[in-house]
Amino acid sequence: MAAPCVELPKGGFSFDNCARNARLEQLGLKFPTAYKTGTTIAGAIFKDGVVLGADTRATEDTVVADKNCAKIHYLSDNMYCCGAGTAADTEMTTQLISAELELHRLNTGRVPRVATANRLLKQMLYRYQGHIGAALVLGGVDVTGPNLYSIWPHGSTDKLPYVTMGSGSLAAMATFEDRFKPDMTREEAMKLVRDAIAAGIFNDLGSGSNVDLCVITKDKVEYIRPYEVANIRGVKQRSYRYQRGTTAILSSEVKKLDLDVFGTEVKHQPMDTQ
Amino acid sequence: MFLTRSEYDRGVNTFSPEGRLFQVEYAIEAIKLGSTAIGLKTNEGVVLAVEKRVTSSLIEAGSIEKIMEVDKHIACAMSGLIADSKTLIDKARVEAQNHWFTYNENMGVEGVTQAVSNLALQFGDDDPDPGAMSRPFGVALLFAGVDEKGPRLFHMDPSGTFIQYDGKAIGSGSEGAQQALQEVYHKSMTLKEACKAALTILKQVMEEKLNSTNVEMCTVTPQNLFRMFTKEELEDIIREI
Amino acid sequence: MASASVLSEYKAPISAHFSPYDFNGGTVLAIAGNDFALIATDTRLSQGFAIHSRECPKTFTLTNNTILGCCGFHGDVLTLTKTLAARLQIFEKDHNKPMPTASIAAMLSTILYYRRFFPYYTHNVVAGLDEEGKGCVYSFDPVGCYEKESFRAKGSASAMLQPLLDNQIGGKNQNGYTAQSLTSTQCVALVKDVFTSAAERDIYTGDNIIISVVNKDGIKSEKFPLRRD
Repeated sequence: MAAPCVELPKGGFSFDNCARNARLEQLGLKFPTAYKTGTTIAGAIFKDGVVLGADTRATEDTVVADKNCAKIHYLSDNMYCCGAGTAADTEMTTQLISAELELHRLNTGRVPRVATANRLLKQMLYRYQGHIGAALVLGGVDVTGPNLYSIWPHGSTDKLPYVTMGSGSLAAMATFEDRFKPDMTREEAMKLVRDAIAAGIFNDLGSGSNVDLCVITKDKVEYIRPYEVANIRGVKQRSYRYQRGTTAILSSEVKKLDLDVFGTEVKHQPMDTQ
Repeated sequence: MFLTRSEYDRGVNTFSPEGRLFQVEYAIEAIKLGSTAIGLKTNEGVVLAVEKRVTSSLIEAGSIEKIMEVDKHIACAMSGLIADSKTLIDKARVEAQNHWFTYNENMGVEGVTQAVSNLALQFGDDDPDPGAMSRPFGVALLFAGVDEKGPRLFHMDPSGTFIQYDGKAIGSGSEGAQQALQEVYHKSMTLKEACKAALTILKQVMEEKLNSTNVEMCTVTPQNLFRMFTKEELEDIIREI
Repeated sequence: MASASVLSEYKAPISAHFSPYDFNGGTVLAIAGNDFALIATDTRLSQGFAIHSRECPKTFTLTNNTILGCCGFHGDVLTLTKTLAARLQIFEKDHNKPMPTASIAAMLSTILYYRRFFPYYTHNVVAGLDEEGKGCVYSFDPVGCYEKESFRAKGSASAMLQPLLDNQIGGKNQNGYTAQSLTSTQCVALVKDVFTSAAERDIYTGDNIIISVVNKDGIKSEKFPLRRD
């Protein structure tokens, strides 16, 4: 048998074209830009859980690429993770760690801790020296109670009662600094995180559209998407319906397919269960 | 002590106690030595006619130019120290071209006259624009043209003063010519009548006998803009006088 | 040989140089009709990911029947409009008449080309009535190339608006349809719609639009809200 001409990836990244690409870039070739979630993400700890929040705008340079994207990613049943930065990196990183946490849960038979997820994430990001452009807000509830981390693309992390990330992080943090207090009620915390995300949506051009929230408590996760439609699209003043036939047909041709048509009858047969 | 006129007529920047600038007045006097030029405005256009002093039979009469084209739609006739007019006409031409370049429209006749007047007033300036002199210009100008307000005629003297006219004569024969213009002018004059009248008056005030070589005439009309009369065309009109 | 290649590795230090320009966003749209012309601009002033102002119109009244839409680098917008205002006033005093729209366009072209090698980083459209009272629009590139057109979008979201205008006003790409000229009211409605759409996708367009319509009765402006995120 002939050897397969396509080699299947064994895992990890392929660095095959790095030297070639560096040379091409030197010669002035512009490489395609990745989607960036110029983003506002935030999280806050309250009395009995964590609230995570995110806006829903994805941008490609100055153009809005997705008006309603999900930036709060699932890690495990007790943990969620907001992502800012290169969309592909946040997506793949959280999926990868989610898989690792699930294996960890199966191997240990315990609910994974937030600290564990934090370690896995920071070790992975550190290994790639910032080339994986993922800035994360990790939150969840485990045996130790509610936990909240912010994780930077180079692998450093902060464990804090309230954190923000992304291009709208300053706007959101301003809201937290003004109004955060320990041991808030669930409603208070949700309102505060909503306001922090809304500050990002309205004052940071990289963030926009809606507010998503994820409230994690001991036995329950409530993923509310959208929590609030912060911007409603304007109503059209005119009609933009076109008359039938507006699109010009440049040429048309009818071809006869020479096929022999024959029918096959399928009879009911009982399944072999012996 | 009473100071006589002669002590106040040297500098261009000193008024006499009676409030006069003698150098400017003398410059205006210089115009009265010049050849006669006539401008006449009608509803159809403006005509300029000037006398040329061909003082020797050896002069190439065509080389004496006393009507100049400023732009396609503006002409200028002059009397006095013709050499002085060179910088003024230059200024008018540059200004008209600049206006067209900047605004993509023809410059108004009043605008051109104003610009030239500004230059004429700069005599004796410490920091004058190029073209200005230390003394007043010794030339008077008649600007004839058509713009969005219709046919227009302006007179400017060495003091820089400019006034709009229906008919104006300058130069040595100006007094008689102006009188004659006032008698002949009426609002509904045709351009053809005006051309004939201009030459008739010029003939009356000229010392030499008027012929097709010792006069120049042009018209500016909305249709044909600036147009000089040829020798033949002049002869046709002279025959009718 | 070896030492030569080693030496070639050394490069002169890269000096950080002053950059005189910035981009402050904003979209401008102008349409000429039979007896009117209009300019619509958004009111957002931004830089990078930050909003400087939500109330910064980019329409400038030049004369009783000419208006200008001007966006790009706001510093240059301010200087250019100030220069224009001064030049218009001087012209009016010199020539005893307000400058006609066509002349304003010609003058703006010379002002822009004067800075050919250190240009004003501005996108301009002039709209107004010509000397017969017909609507006209002139659009400019930053160094003074200009053209008389019947509709034009400039600035941040221009690439989104222009194709829609080509279709809706120019009647482009519509089989068996010939474009009919729109009334002032229809144009205003169209302008609101195209800006609403642009604000959906362009991060530098939003907050409000100011629509200024010029006709024989003068200039009337109206404000219309856009999304604010």
